[in-house]
Amino acid sequence: MPHELLLPEPWTSQGWKVKIFDVEGPEEPHVTVRFRARAWRVSLRSGNFLDREPPGRDVPEEIVSNVRDNLAALVTAWDTLHPSNVVKSPEPEAEEVPEKPKTKKRKKSRQT
Amino acid sequence: MNDPVILLAHRQDIDTPLRALHATIVGTRDAVHRACSEHRRGAVWIAPRADLFRLLLGRPSTPTRDQRLLVLEGLREQQYAFLRTMFRVIVPMDKEVRRLPREELLEVVAMPNRDELFVAGAVDEDDGVVTLYRGNLEPLVVPLDWFKPSGTGVRPDPARFEVTDFGHTVRFGDYEASTHAILYAHDPKYRTRAKARLLEQDKSFGGALRRLRILKGLSLSDFPGISDKSVARIEKGDVEKPHAGTMAKLAKRLGVKPEEISTY
Repeated sequence: MPHELLLPEPWTSQGWKVKIFDVEGPEEPHVTVRFRARAWRVSLRSGNFLDREPPGRDVPEEIVSNVRDNLAALVTAWDTLHPSNVVKSPEPEAEEVPEKPKTKKRKKSRQT
Repeated sequence: MNDPVILLAHRQDIDTPLRALHATIVGTRDAVHRACSEHRRGAVWIAPRADLFRLLLGRPSTPTRDQRLLVLEGLREQQYAFLRTMFRVIVPMDKEVRRLPREELLEVVAMPNRDELFVAGAVDEDDGVVTLYRGNLEPLVVPLDWFKPSGTGVRPDPARFEVTDFGHTVRFGDYEASTHAILYAHDPKYRTRAKARLLEQDKSFGGALRRLRILKGLSLSDFPGISDKSVARIEKGDVEKPHAGTMAKLAKRLGVKPEEISTY
C-alpha cells in the first residue's frame, strides 16, 4: 500500500498529493508531489528536488516545508516499502584496499 | 517532438476539455482527407463519438504509417474491424480497457509530456501481462510478475487494475506502481530522458549498476561468483572498469547484456 502524506488545507482540496509508491524508480529515495498531471520528486536524503523539470518553484512553499517537516516519517515509510534501497544506504564494511607500491618507470633504452 | 492530435468532431460538439487539446478539428470528409495527407507520418486521433467514423470512409485503403485512435464511446465489432484497416493502435471504450476519467484523460493527452503518462490499460491474466497505453496511445506491455510485493508484503491484485492520478499511477487494488518506475524499467529512451533531467546525476558505471540492481530487487550478495564487498566497491566507484569476466557475471544475474548496464 502506498504511503501518503496528508497535506493541510487548502492544498488537499485543491488536489495536491504527496506519495511514496509500492513500486518506485531505482534513483535515490524520494517522495512524489503531484498536482493534476504534473509531478515533482523530492529527495528524502537532501530535501531537494531531484529533477530539473518541472521546476521546483512551481510547488507551493508550504507544501515543500510540509514535506521537509515530515522527513523522518517519510524516511521510515520509504525504508519499510523499499528495504533494498533504504535512505541511509547500508554498505558492507569495505575491505582496506592496499595502496599499490609506487614503481619506478623503467626508461626504455634506445637501440642504435 | 509530439505527434499532432486530430479531433474527429463537429465544432458544436467540442467542450472545454476537448478544446484544451488544441487539436486539428476535422468534421467533414474533406477535412479528414486533408488531415490524412498532411500527417502521413503519424498522429493521435481522438473520436468523441463513434458515429463520425463514416467520415473516414473513402480514405486511401493503404493505411498511412502510424495513426493511433482513442475512442470515447463504445465500438461495434464491425466498426472495430473497419478501423483496424486504418489505425495501428485503437484504444476503445470497452469493459476490458480501464481508462482515466474523461477529464483526466484529455488533460494528459494535452500535456507536452503525454508519452510519459498512462491513459488506459488492460490486464490479460491468461497471458500474464498488462498492456498500458501512454498519452500518445503507444502501448507498453509489462509482465504481471514484474510487479513484485512491496516491502510491506502487499501484492498486486490484477482483478482490481486501474490507471489513476492523471496517469501517474498504475494501481492493482491496494498496490500502486509509479508510472515513472514502469517506464524507467521498460523503455530505454525514457530512461535516457529521465536521467538527463536529474539535477544531480551519478553518471558512473557504479551508479548505473546500483540503479539496475535496485530495479531488479537484488541485494549486493545476489551475484554468484562475486562477493558482496566487490559489488559494493564497483557501485561506489572504487573499481572504474570491472574485468570482462566480472561484467559478464553481473550482466547475467541482472538479465541484461553487459553493454546495457550503463544505460540504467
